[in-house]
Amino acid sequence: MENHLLNICFALFLIGIMISLYSLWWSTEGLQKLIKWIIRLALLFLTIAIIARIVETGRLPFASLYEFVLAFTWAILCFFVITRRRFYSPIFDLLSNILVVGLLLAASFLPTEARPLMPALQSNWLHIHVFTAIIAYGSFAVSFCLAGVYMFQENRATVIELRPLDQLIYRLVVLGFIFLSLVIITGAIWAEQVWGNWWTWDPKETWSLVTWLVYAAYLHARHTYNWKGRRSAVMVLIGFGLVLITLFGVSLILPGLHSYI
Amino acid sequence: MNKKHQVRGIFPTLTSMQTAIYLLIFIALLSAVGTVIPQGEKSSFYTQHYGQYSGTFITLLGLDHLYQVWWYQVLLGLLCLSLLLCGYKRLSQARSLTGVGSSLLHLGMAVIIVGAAWSLGYAKQAYLEINQGESAFLRDYGLKEGYLEVKKFNIDYYPDHSPRQYYSQISLQDYKGRCYEENISVNYPLKAANLKIYQTSWGWSMQADVAKGENKQRLSLQNGIAIPLPGRGSLEIKAVFIPDYQEDGTGLRTKSPYPHNPRMLATLLREGQIIDMVVLAPGESWTLGEYNIIFQGFVPYTGLTLKEDPGVNLVFTGFALLSLGLLIRYRNLYIRKAA
Repeated sequence: MENHLLNICFALFLIGIMISLYSLWWSTEGLQKLIKWIIRLALLFLTIAIIARIVETGRLPFASLYEFVLAFTWAILCFFVITRRRFYSPIFDLLSNILVVGLLLAASFLPTEARPLMPALQSNWLHIHVFTAIIAYGSFAVSFCLAGVYMFQENRATVIELRPLDQLIYRLVVLGFIFLSLVIITGAIWAEQVWGNWWTWDPKETWSLVTWLVYAAYLHARHTYNWKGRRSAVMVLIGFGLVLITLFGVSLILPGLHSYI
Repeated sequence: MNKKHQVRGIFPTLTSMQTAIYLLIFIALLSAVGTVIPQGEKSSFYTQHYGQYSGTFITLLGLDHLYQVWWYQVLLGLLCLSLLLCGYKRLSQARSLTGVGSSLLHLGMAVIIVGAAWSLGYAKQAYLEINQGESAFLRDYGLKEGYLEVKKFNIDYYPDHSPRQYYSQISLQDYKGRCYEENISVNYPLKAANLKIYQTSWGWSMQADVAKGENKQRLSLQNGIAIPLPGRGSLEIKAVFIPDYQEDGTGLRTKSPYPHNPRMLATLLREGQIIDMVVLAPGESWTLGEYNIIFQGFVPYTGLTLKEDPGVNLVFTGFALLSLGLLIRYRNLYIRKAA
């Protein structure tokens, strides 16, 4: 059932991409609403797919890369739905749809079977750690899409006001930064409980720290040097690139403690 | 330039945000490099994989143990100092709750780095493998006085025979004479006043009596590890444990992880080359040349990590300060209307 539901989601997002592409030139209020409901429907199907997996495994879907990507996609959609109420642009729709299609496509190449939890993962910290990661990554992903919109709109005569957009990106980054800090902290506390070392420079730890440092640099540049607009948006794009490296690059290429593929 | 000018020059540099941002980005880049270059290998590894020049460059700069190399730690120290000074500057500049939050989170980071440095200097860690029913004196492993006994070790399996949890029932008498008795498992270590004990590994240990003429000796053989046979020869013995031996002619296989039908696969080696091999049930013996080997019994051993870490509580305090600071610093973000 999970597979069928995910296929439906995938199809809905593809329709979303096509409609948002069309809306780039001929945007109407009707199409705006149509995309809104398509995404909400896809979110509903994805939620049911995740619930089905929870029922099947008897635990939250936090134990493998595949499960994390599903939860991550779910979080992106939630943030997208909330953000879209405050900000609309067909480019935002397009980028968000492309991103989730890419993630679902990536998930389809990962091992999907539900394995029982290994001893190291049997802790409540697993839930806290992964839950904070989903929120952090979800808000970074949506800030990334908005930064893309910013870059695209900046040099065009457009109806979109850039300052509120910049502010919206900033708010999402701050939310992501707070939760990324919690991801690293909860991970460290958990690692101390499992292995006796709260930090071992494991590739996943190190790349999360690198991501954290880059977002910290973004916040400092913004607060102190008033870096707003384009430069700020470029840093958000780089930051999310690092998120993706931490998530896929490190899990699939670099061996380490987080190799739960 | 006189000394006074120099001092004035260094202080604003350290408190400047520009320095902090450069340090953040530089440390981020360096840390990333450390995940790409394999860490802690022999120097020959680097010359083989990266060529003579790059390999030598890597070992010379210490990029092969980047996170421990002195100049990396100096950079972390500088970042720590810069954080403290920036935090202080914020507090003195903006006497608002936001300023307090900002200072707290910078202080939190500095506390984490100090705690980490303390751990680096004073933490002690040891890894012990103890057979079920045996014990160890912690002094022998570079830790404080103490006595540790492993009463029982067992594994809980899922129906598909993958491990669900490992348990070691241990008793500890620490250096002050206090006694602790606990059933530890992965994620649930024993926490004594100064010491934590973690479930880390496990394996099978086989007991074999080896006789050569009149000399008889009891050997404890760990699964898969070759040890020299008594006497002056260059012979070694390696034992592999088969817990639930399947006698169906399909080779050496185990039906389950449970020791229902135990066997010891004993291999005799000379300079790494196999000379002979035999499968023994408990009580069975094997004669090879002058040696007679009897498989007496088997027992699980538990691998425990013992750690005395005085810095870890400071690190956790830093985590709390950092989290609190973040919440205070950005408390208004989702309440206040967009500027």
